[in-house]
Amino acid sequence: MKLVKSIILFVLLFTLINAEDEKKYGNELTLTEKTEVSAILSNPENFDGKKVLIEGTIVNVCESRGCWIDIASNEGYETIKVKVDDGVIVFPMEAKGKTAVVEGEVYAMTKQQEHSCAAGKEGEHKEGEKKEDEKSCCSETEKQAKVYQIKGLGAVIK
Amino acid sequence: MNWRKWNNVFHRDIGYLAVGLTLIYSISGIAVNHVNEWNPNYNIQKDTVVLHSQIDSLDANEILIAKTQSELQLDDSLKSSFRSGPLKIQLFFDKKTVTANYETKKAVIETVSNKPILRESNFLHLNAPKKLWTYVADAFAIALILLAITGMFMLKGKNGITGRGKWLIAAGFVIPIAFLILYF
Repeated sequence: MKLVKSIILFVLLFTLINAEDEKKYGNELTLTEKTEVSAILSNPENFDGKKVLIEGTIVNVCESRGCWIDIASNEGYETIKVKVDDGVIVFPMEAKGKTAVVEGEVYAMTKQQEHSCAAGKEGEHKEGEKKEDEKSCCSETEKQAKVYQIKGLGAVIK
Repeated sequence: MNWRKWNNVFHRDIGYLAVGLTLIYSISGIAVNHVNEWNPNYNIQKDTVVLHSQIDSLDANEILIAKTQSELQLDDSLKSSFRSGPLKIQLFFDKKTVTANYETKKAVIETVSNKPILRESNFLHLNAPKKLWTYVADAFAIALILLAITGMFMLKGKNGITGRGKWLIAAGFVIPIAFLILYF
């Protein structure tokens, strides 16, 4: 029993000593050169399908699953969404307001716009998928807007 | 010592070792099973208050921050902020976010607290730590397999696997099979 007690004590001490200030999520970051969020948002087509490393304040976190975060742009008023696979990376709510360095791939999505049509219901789906809404008063071009976001592969939150 | 005695010793000690993780995984299992109905990790309270301060869209961030903090009597240490629009600002504190909208003259104060035990259990259950924890979780899964196997052979006679045991084992297989037939 002395051995078991010693193992328990060792594990607890080891854990306390190795507690990290920086939290890492998902894969290790491989890129070193950062891209400004404003550069992506001003010319998203140029980054479509490309891997980028961005840094910014986390301004919103998925409440129920931690499966996305919104990162503030360096130029204000705008954010970019980082979506991760459910369960692969789980961002905590306390990350709000902290700085994140995120590596991921830029991709396009179509987003249904709520305010452009009162009858429409907000929702989003991947590029290429088509959602029919017979009751919608909007034309296809009005209700669908292309948005760019990042598929997060790895992140460090400071 | 015969094989059954060893089997029971094995079952007993693995069982003791697995108590902690069984509780963590089962409690978290119930919690995340209902993720669409409730938040299994956090208590999130959102209070909406009316803003009275006059803000100009050309005002600097510092002015918005100062006026919002003063009006809402926010004494907490400010972590960071984000100007989401000419008349909108988000202030981030520890476990608290204030979203002030001077267009609508409303502010939402969001306070977040962990659901004790559940937050930690879910963190481990969903393998958020990754790394070494993955192998601990694998070892636990193997321990459960061993518990199931050794459990079947603990008793002999009418309460053993040759008696009522076989019917209960069969029931344990029939339940998931039935659901697979119905929904898969």
